[in-house]
Amino acid sequence: MTVEEQVKDIVSKIAHIDKSIMSKESTFKEMKADSLDVVQALVAVEETFDIEIPDEEAQKFRNFGDFVDFVQQEVSKKG
Amino acid sequence: MKPLQGKLALITGSGRGIGKAIALKLASQGCDIVVNYFRRREAAEQTAEALRELGVKVDLIKANVGDSSKIAEMFDTITESHGYLDIFISNAASGVGRPIMEIDEKAWDWTMGINAKALLLCAQRAAGLMEGRNGKIVSISSLGSKFVWPTYAAVGVSKAALEAVTRYLAIEFCPKGIAVNAVSASAVDTEALKFYIREGLVKDVKQTTPVGRMVTPEDVANVVAFLCSEEAYMIRGQTIIVDGGTCVAPWSSVVEKGEA
Repeated sequence: MTVEEQVKDIVSKIAHIDKSIMSKESTFKEMKADSLDVVQALVAVEETFDIEIPDEEAQKFRNFGDFVDFVQQEVSKKG
Repeated sequence: MKPLQGKLALITGSGRGIGKAIALKLASQGCDIVVNYFRRREAAEQTAEALRELGVKVDLIKANVGDSSKIAEMFDTITESHGYLDIFISNAASGVGRPIMEIDEKAWDWTMGINAKALLLCAQRAAGLMEGRNGKIVSISSLGSKFVWPTYAAVGVSKAALEAVTRYLAIEFCPKGIAVNAVSASAVDTEALKFYIREGLVKDVKQTTPVGRMVTPEDVANVVAFLCSEEAYMIRGQTIIVDGGTCVAPWSSVVEKGEA
């Protein structure tokens, strides 16, 4: 499973979103994920990949793709 | 010898803000500290370093206190590494800022879990580690438990629950020799305040606080430290308000201020 697939899996479970409507261009609003869904997704992703996503960084995510890219970047930093 | 020398305190959410100030205050009195944090490891590590500079032993434990299994793991770790606990401060807080009609079950459960249920579950485990040690438990509340602020409903209700849990714990823990109290503050000058900030809020708070300034994390920490001392032995189940006089003079913007 790729990082993107894993993140998609986590977000869809937490926010009860059908994976078929999730693309890298989708905004959280378009996916009907509220602010708590986003926080819970951040927490779950941090725990899954053992990374840290600072709130300041998370606030910059324009869409799901930005979220995935940040996670991928942090995961590759860890090697 | 410092008053809390040889004692051990667990402070939830002590990587920053009020929790950090409490950790520093207790450490300045010689207390060893377990810093619990959730998401900000870097801030927690900086706090740990500042505490070590005060000459105390410090442990760092990452745990989401909204998750009962993480609470259990945190206390298992303390049991294994120390086997005792003298002070437990329930400080970690979170919440969803929404008007009451927009609070769904998930937002309610999240807020109640971290702010109120965590005190109950942590206190139950802490009590076992405090046997025969005159333990102290202090929970951190806010004036939103009594007063209505915009979008603060979920947090306000959870803080009211926290204060009620504090009272019940206080009485049921008397036979165990554990003193339980709460400290409640008005708007405190921390990073978390940014989540509730609106234009002019800081100015408004200053204007409506009789002493003429906002409550600081250190103001809260000083009262917590007192409640952790033997001088506070006969105070049980109380919520001590730290607000610079706001509650007793809510219209203080029209009266003369004290020193700023």
